[in-house]
Amino acid sequence: MKTQEPPNPFHTDVTDSLSTSTDTFDSPSPVEIQELERQVEYIVDDCFFTVGQVVGMRTTVDYEAVIWWRDHYREKFLAAMLAFGNRWMEDRSNVTSVAIMLAERAVRYSEGKPSIDAEAARRAAADVERHCELHARRAARRQGQDTSDAAVPRIAGYWCTYP
Amino acid sequence: MTPAQEVDYILNDCFLAVGQAVGTQKSLDFDVIPWWRARYRAFFLHAMSANGNSWLRDRHRVTAVGRFLGQRALHHAADKPSIDLCTAELASSDVETGCRMNAEREGEPAPHASQA
Repeated sequence: MKTQEPPNPFHTDVTDSLSTSTDTFDSPSPVEIQELERQVEYIVDDCFFTVGQVVGMRTTVDYEAVIWWRDHYREKFLAAMLAFGNRWMEDRSNVTSVAIMLAERAVRYSEGKPSIDAEAARRAAADVERHCELHARRAARRQGQDTSDAAVPRIAGYWCTYP
Repeated sequence: MTPAQEVDYILNDCFLAVGQAVGTQKSLDFDVIPWWRARYRAFFLHAMSANGNSWLRDRHRVTAVGRFLGQRALHHAADKPSIDLCTAELASSDVETGCRMNAEREGEPAPHASQA
């Protein structure tokens, strides 16, 4: 890959770049929720763009895989935003770095197939989420925070937050 | 699914296609995303209400236009490190001009061209 200036996310190390914030956002009002629902669309678009960059012209992505990824991650991203607020401009590089991993795993799982299907998309997502949880657990341990199963998904941020 | 719901999946599909053509050589400025989303959401919804939702039939053709949009953005970005709003506007202008010319050649009404 061509050498780039930051903030190009292709230069960050995925294993060091996940959000580990535990700051929480006060309960958002209905108006704030509506605004976050609008903003989450930009974030999902941004991640789809990044997945496309990494997949490149190596293969295509089935529409069923697009539907699955959107349904899965829009919900998670919105849950993260409802918990932490919209921190996208701070977190963008970190989160899109995880999208790079998602795309690479999906390409790998689609080897021998004509395209990335929903099954490859699901398997890639499972890998990424496992990675994020392990990373979050390690980060929490380093920071002396709670590493229980209940706390880790929140610490892991966008990709692993369960609504 | 209503057109207003379906259009969000279609836009995600198109952002992925644009990214495929851009590749990893350049990043995308975040302010381009709301601009492209607002522009093409309106165009796509207009086309869907005028012609019905035919995404599965049109997907191949429309995502090819998405990849063309990415190629034009890459071209206009030249040696800039990222695709900025000005670059995105130039790329959109190229694509929409091409679509209008194509629609005129095929004798289709111009609004339909905005989804192709």
